[in-house]
Amino acid sequence: MSTSSKSSRRPCLIAAILAGLIATGCSPTPPAAFRLNMVEAISPTAEKDSIAAEQALTTEQQRQVATILAAMFGTPDEPVCLPEAGLDGSKLQLAAGPVRSDIVGRKNGLYREHCVHCHGITGDGLGPTAAFLNPYPRDYRPGVFKFKSTERADKPTHGDLVHVLHNGIAGTSMPSFALLSPTQVDALVEYVKYLSIRGETELALMRYYFELDDEDEGKLPETREFLVDEILQPIADKWASAADAVIDVPEPPADLDLAASVAKGKELFYGDRANCVKCHGVTGLGDGQANDYDDWSKNIVKIEAKLASLAGNELEPAEHRWIADFHDVLDGDALQPRTIPPRNLRKGIYRGGRRPLDLYYRIHAGINGAPMPAAAGTVSPEEIWHIVNYVRSLPYDFDGELGVDRSMAVQSNVAGALAAQETSDQ
Amino acid sequence: MLNADRGKPQALRDAAVDRGSLARGGGQSRWNVPRVLSSVLVAVTFVLLSFGALVTTYEAAMAVPDWPGTYGHNMFLFPLAEWLGGPWDLFLEHGHRLLGATAGLVAIALAVSAWLWPVGPRVRWLAVAAVVLVVVQGVLGGARVLLDDTTVAKVHACTGPLFFAVTVALAVLTRRPAGVDQPSAAFSLAATLPVAAYGQLVAGAQLRHLDPATTPPVFHALVGTHILIGLVVAALAYAIAAATWRSVNRAAHRWSAAAAGLVSAQLLLGGATWVAKYGLPSAVLPDAWRLSEAIVARSGSAAVIVTAHAILGMLILAVGVVVAIAAAGRGVTAADAKPGVRRTAAGLREALV
Repeated sequence: MSTSSKSSRRPCLIAAILAGLIATGCSPTPPAAFRLNMVEAISPTAEKDSIAAEQALTTEQQRQVATILAAMFGTPDEPVCLPEAGLDGSKLQLAAGPVRSDIVGRKNGLYREHCVHCHGITGDGLGPTAAFLNPYPRDYRPGVFKFKSTERADKPTHGDLVHVLHNGIAGTSMPSFALLSPTQVDALVEYVKYLSIRGETELALMRYYFELDDEDEGKLPETREFLVDEILQPIADKWASAADAVIDVPEPPADLDLAASVAKGKELFYGDRANCVKCHGVTGLGDGQANDYDDWSKNIVKIEAKLASLAGNELEPAEHRWIADFHDVLDGDALQPRTIPPRNLRKGIYRGGRRPLDLYYRIHAGINGAPMPAAAGTVSPEEIWHIVNYVRSLPYDFDGELGVDRSMAVQSNVAGALAAQETSDQ
Repeated sequence: MLNADRGKPQALRDAAVDRGSLARGGGQSRWNVPRVLSSVLVAVTFVLLSFGALVTTYEAAMAVPDWPGTYGHNMFLFPLAEWLGGPWDLFLEHGHRLLGATAGLVAIALAVSAWLWPVGPRVRWLAVAAVVLVVVQGVLGGARVLLDDTTVAKVHACTGPLFFAVTVALAVLTRRPAGVDQPSAAFSLAATLPVAAYGQLVAGAQLRHLDPATTPPVFHALVGTHILIGLVVAALAYAIAAATWRSVNRAAHRWSAAAAGLVSAQLLLGGATWVAKYGLPSAVLPDAWRLSEAIVARSGSAAVIVTAHAILGMLILAVGVVVAIAAAGRGVTAADAKPGVRRTAAGLREALV
């Protein structure tokens, strides 16, 4: 059969199959598409939190955001990479699009193969499996990452994300991708950065609507100066400068034996300065203050609070619409917020890595996006090492040590925390 | 007529002829071609489906971008060294295609032989159905590649087991009848097992070929459906095994016991599959159940578990078909009817009469 006759038959074959599928009630899968950040689109803002109806982006504004994002970042199947984003287009091509491989066995569509079922096409942490997982899969769009070697507010380095992919996150559903080649892991990390930069750009665009003047008529300027220089460039710069923000870790104190270091760490743990006991509890079981949320949930919690404040009020029609929008968002664009429990330090499961260095980073910079604060301003680097040593001793701390900790907590003037915990226990 | 058929109701004797005492080829030969071909077809199809399951596990469906050729070659002329020595994905996908073509050819040969040998109309039309199904399945496989469409992949995944069920039915129905037909009271129950097992495969296909745009509530519903049908299949398998436990129909007893065993293993594999793919479902388990180590994605053991779950599902369907046919008193062999194996009072009374 000639090639031309083959190709002339192919459309007929495809059309026949499509017709058959549609006739049997099956419709072809639509192309993958990014979703708008609807939680942000309807979120109350500090400026306008008195009138709910004015806080939601209009349909026209949502459409404009989608158009701008498509122009700047393309689609999940065909990502676009502006030079200012600082991303490697060839790596993106390897990670993006549907799963397929070439004759030498090089897989493309790596994100769709390995990540999308949990993190979702948009990287919003809303993949199909998300509701089954605790913690929820990471939403990349705010550009906030927990486990990294940089200061709290800074972006993770490329190496930090490679580290997470290689080791997975113990105690969560995030697996290790150690069996992937370094090239594949690199491509996935680049795509995660792409989704983050895209998500951060989306957030910046949405928030900019509330800074528009009346003469702007509710529309964002669609100029290169605004979209690239003012919005994209600052975001990309933060990612590019992450390597400069790596925490400088001094060597552990060499002249102190381990037992003494652990004892000092214990004092700091229960003391007012580090005050680890407040959340991790007097027992170290993570049973301290546990009613806080991470940053990804706070928007939803804020909206729920807003909703509660409107209860009983006589509402405008626009406010009714806003409430309906919120329920729509909860149905398909958000997950029910969960409080974030402080880590149980006696289990020996450290999500950001079990190396002493990893624990040093966590204590020094805190955990971005989570209530865990940075200790760097209140305790010295040497003292952080003592806390590291104490924390690492806790899984092996048996035989009634919990009781000792309890009395020590009282002695250390954290009776308030203890009393609060006892009240909550009751 | 076989000696064992003597004294049986005329209807049963007719049924035995209708099923095909075949091989005698009208009394001329003992070489039973449809029976041989149907057994070959079951074996080829099982390997074909196993390759298909591996293709899905390794997401290798798009390892070959064209169809019906392979990288521009005629499928059958694709260089052997490139296939066997090439990437794993290519090995799986091209192997799946070759096996599919082989299954198609065997199915056609079986259909032809069914019209040449006196196998009865049921087997003949079932053989024709097998040819139709394998052709449709081949076209669907091609469409899955050309369109790269998840919906087509799902339909392709649902048609494969249906074809397998038909091949198994053919293999059972073309077996030499032993002249013992003991319709089981559990037939109506047994007939539901392959239906439920197939429904479970359809539900499983929705999870195996998950559209990444599926929302969490829809995925929740899909998982719930899969678990629910799984429990129904298990309940049916155990009920049928219990109902046929003391039956004189030894084939029904034996195969239903096998089905119950397979279903038990499948329940365990189902749980293991979830853990291999997603870790523990931490949102519905106590905090203390967390794994202290991250699972390793794409490990060989995970691939084995996930693929075995899919293959075992197809085996349960196949055994379900055998159970249903056996419970209907069809295809029981002489060995099945050996006296004294495990006689019930009713069976003994029948033998004495």
